[in-house]
Amino acid sequence: MEGVTEHLNSDAVQALASGEPQWLQNRRMDAWASYERTPMPTTRLEEWRYTNLDRKLKLATLEPLGWSERSFSKESAPARLVAEMEADHESAGHLVELDGSVAHVDLDPALASKGVVFMSLRTAVSEHPELLEEYLATRALPAERGKFQALNAALWTDGILLYVPRGVQLEHPIRVSRWLSESGKALFSRTLIVAEEGSQVSYVDEILSDDLDAQSLVSSAVEVFAKDNAQVQYVSLQRLGRGPFHLSQQRTIAGKDSTLDTLNVNMGATTARVDLNAQLVGSGANSDMLGLCFGEGDQHFDHNTSQDHVAPHAYSDLLYKGALDGKARSVFRGIIKVHKGAQQTDAYQTNRNLLLSETARADSLPNLEIEADDVRCSHGATVGQLDQDHLFYLMSRGMSREVAERLVVIGFLGEVLSKLPLGGVVAKLSRAIEEKLHG
Amino acid sequence: MSDTPILSIRNLHAKVADEDIEILHGVDLELGKGEIHAIMGPNGSGKSTLAKLLAGHPGYEATDGTVHYKGEELLDQEPDERSLAGIFLAFQYPVEIPGVSIANFLRTALQAREGKDAELDLFEFQDALLDRMELLGMDPSFAERPVNDGFSGGEKKRNEILQMAMLRPELALMDETDSGLDIDALQVVADGVNKLHEENPDMTVLIITHYQRLLNYLKPHHVHVMVKGKIVRSGGPEVAEELESRGYEEFKTAQV
Repeated sequence: MEGVTEHLNSDAVQALASGEPQWLQNRRMDAWASYERTPMPTTRLEEWRYTNLDRKLKLATLEPLGWSERSFSKESAPARLVAEMEADHESAGHLVELDGSVAHVDLDPALASKGVVFMSLRTAVSEHPELLEEYLATRALPAERGKFQALNAALWTDGILLYVPRGVQLEHPIRVSRWLSESGKALFSRTLIVAEEGSQVSYVDEILSDDLDAQSLVSSAVEVFAKDNAQVQYVSLQRLGRGPFHLSQQRTIAGKDSTLDTLNVNMGATTARVDLNAQLVGSGANSDMLGLCFGEGDQHFDHNTSQDHVAPHAYSDLLYKGALDGKARSVFRGIIKVHKGAQQTDAYQTNRNLLLSETARADSLPNLEIEADDVRCSHGATVGQLDQDHLFYLMSRGMSREVAERLVVIGFLGEVLSKLPLGGVVAKLSRAIEEKLHG
Repeated sequence: MSDTPILSIRNLHAKVADEDIEILHGVDLELGKGEIHAIMGPNGSGKSTLAKLLAGHPGYEATDGTVHYKGEELLDQEPDERSLAGIFLAFQYPVEIPGVSIANFLRTALQAREGKDAELDLFEFQDALLDRMELLGMDPSFAERPVNDGFSGGEKKRNEILQMAMLRPELALMDETDSGLDIDALQVVADGVNKLHEENPDMTVLIITHYQRLLNYLKPHHVHVMVKGKIVRSGGPEVAEELESRGYEEFKTAQV
């Protein structure tokens, strides 16, 4: 029963489940049983080889954040949260989650009247149980997928449901701002996005905090379904302060001729782990998978991706880039898996890293596992240094060392941003990168 | 040379920064304002080391002697200070900077010249860029390409000349600008330098080259021969012609 602690135990699950409908209580308790059964991942497992949870995650010190009634006003909200919300461009709807409890939701009434559902997961338990019963921690991230998937499925306090009915297209993105304020806590939140046939939606999830003096765990479970011909973009902006351990577990399931693109940005947190499984289950499905991280100090980023080609004629293209300064470290482990029968798969995977200091480190482990014989797949990885010749070239044009470094990093990471058709996000991230470069 | 020379090198000794291998063994050279000089020499003679050292490459270190630029000691200045003071090095191997357009790169370089407190006027910048590209016969779309990323040898060198045109140096160091270029590309690059020198006759140019062929297009006033880290012969354009017919051999043996 590894990982069962003074605060993380079946009592905590029962406390959350009390008053919930029976199906949900059962789901939580089953997930908890699965958690107890599953051993804690160690560095002996390939997937966790470079992230030693024993050292990096102080599970025994963490107390789960319970649900509480929260309200949101710009006057009383943390300054950084408000500033980032106001930096947002036009949106179709906005949701604010404070310490794991949803405090505010608004949605364009025209979209609501078309049947778009955008609400807290907790509210959805009573208002849309049919959607949750079908999709929540079932097909995408069931507890059986792993230790932390199980923990989240047992202990989630709140989260977000977005449902876009057949044929409904959203002109502006849906925006979610999540805020963490407390140290020594474990926060479990879930995101469920279901885009029905022929619908279209972009979703930007930003998580923020100030620097915290002790560790908190932020566990985010993200399940995204794009039905046939749907177009979905999911963007995760992780801009926590120092201190937190962010664990983001994501699964995207792309139907026939759908497009399901993701962008994962990791700028903050002390440790950030992303598990992303992009499953292409319908023929003609497309997934562009973008990622960037920019680390300094002792930040540690671990990306574990899978391009999971089940259906034939599908396309996936992954580009993850990392810039690392100080003693920061990044790990990229990506697999392209082409199942038997997934003929005429096109799958590409590129990971590039730029080291800005002698002490930064990047490990890149691209992998292919192909069981079909008519496919086009490639993978590539590079780890480069910002070397003295680069700096000399720029400085010989009159730029100071700082300006020269900044230009190289912005250029390097800009390649990822240039592929993203969300202007507001690109502008925001460019600013965030600049801010981080200025120190 | 009646005026004070723009660049004055006295007894310059230099080595690779991390090693004890001396490459320059006492170089003396004076460049007057507006003059075009060429240093010719075989591979390994130290001529490129001299160019990099003058621009402040951290991989080389002066161990003795002095270099004065516009009357001031040059060797303790950082590469960016030297650039702001008017020195420009056209690189033999320009560095690739993916994701940064030539326009953005030049804007950043020119902003550095404005200093921290002044903003570069972007309209003026755009006009200047188009003007310089027209002078050099370049398509405006060239400025939108990422700096040297996937460029041919000729494109890289043209980009160096465009930067030189925008930064308007007082002393341009051309480090083996002719290497790896076919004759057409060579001519384009040489034409560019000639136009810039015609426009600003006060610009001093130091051409570093192994071959005489560039000097058919860029006419130097003075030619120096460098062998084994020393200048062994200085004269007018006729020195280049001598080298063309007789090669470096006699200079090499004369040294021993």
